[in-house]
Amino acid sequence: MTGRVWDLPTRLFHWSLVVLFGLGWWSAETGRDTVHFWSGYALLFALLFRLLWGFAGSSTARFSGFVRGPRAVLRYVRAGWREPLIGHSPLGALSVIAMLALLLAQVGLGLVATDEDGLEAGPLAMAVSMDASDRARELHELNFDLLRILIAVHIAAVLFYWLLLKKPLIPPMVTGRAVLDPDTPPMQPAPVRRALACAAIALAVTAWIVAGAPPIGG
Amino acid sequence: MRRVSIRIIVTISGAVLLAACQQPGQTGAEASNVAVTNADIAKTATVAPPLTREAALKLMHDRHENYEKIGKAFTTASRALKSDTPDPAVLRTSAATIAGLAPQVSGWFPTGTGPDVGKTMARPEIWQKPEDFAAKTRNLLDAASAFDAAAKAGDMPAIEASFGALGKTCKACHDNYRNEHEK
Repeated sequence: MTGRVWDLPTRLFHWSLVVLFGLGWWSAETGRDTVHFWSGYALLFALLFRLLWGFAGSSTARFSGFVRGPRAVLRYVRAGWREPLIGHSPLGALSVIAMLALLLAQVGLGLVATDEDGLEAGPLAMAVSMDASDRARELHELNFDLLRILIAVHIAAVLFYWLLLKKPLIPPMVTGRAVLDPDTPPMQPAPVRRALACAAIALAVTAWIVAGAPPIGG
Repeated sequence: MRRVSIRIIVTISGAVLLAACQQPGQTGAEASNVAVTNADIAKTATVAPPLTREAALKLMHDRHENYEKIGKAFTTASRALKSDTPDPAVLRTSAATIAGLAPQVSGWFPTGTGPDVGKTMARPEIWQKPEDFAAKTRNLLDAASAFDAAAKAGDMPAIEASFGALGKTCKACHDNYRNEHEK
């Protein structure tokens, strides 16, 4: 029996991260500044939406539904990486939080950074000192390495579940559905209008930041 | 054991074959580069003796430091122009720093100061297309002088226009002749 596990906004968010991270990487390597800036703004919008959706979204998207303490993580690992519940596992939740935190840091650093020639600067670069803006660029590069490590761990974990635990995670992230035990409680979906409201707020905040966050951005 | 050594031999011979395959294609391109470099050496040899390794590394270090100074002055000017009330003194100082260093740039790239000698972001193309590179350093010199003159005169529209033009000359060279990271 299959049932819903991921709602459409959560799936769109996940795959947009893949596309936007790839776009940001490629544009940085090839010196396409405009593409790099806009992939960062799109990433900012996606992250803001996901934060809101973590409070207003469907049951499996809510932070309160999957963020657990260290004891729950240990219990999960000792029980053989299996949990009868749907959604993020207690261990996977740590990965989700780390991923969101590093991506937010990456976007935040990019917003205040200046390139080494002073030719290009993020929309909030004037809100910090010239030295801080310079350091933000260096941290942006360092954090990019951390992100790549975390993504490698994430992909390795997906392969581990797929090949060793025989639990494919990619199809549910595409279709939103997975094979469920009959007694597993299904996902409680959130209404579409709430997703639209979250998107509208995220878009407004993104537009404000891209404009230099007037009047506090200076 | 024997099977392993056979595998190693096969791998090595494969690599040798591959290397052999690549060589004919490369020699053509390299030969022309060598021709340019030799011509350069012939030209400069009569003027100045080739740099010692220490002198070359010293020059590359100073070159990097001076580019940092230009970059810092440019960023300072850029931030001044972005602020609501641009400080004319800051603009004058930045423009004077850049205009003071710009005439030296053409002397920062003698033969033997490329990535084959030490860590640098300078690409070998600098020494492969010396005329184009020289033209770009002249463009920088002209743009830096224009920005300096505008900053001294305190003419805001001219400052903004000449600053934008100066940035384009930086970018034109960096896009073609500078690597993202030291190699």
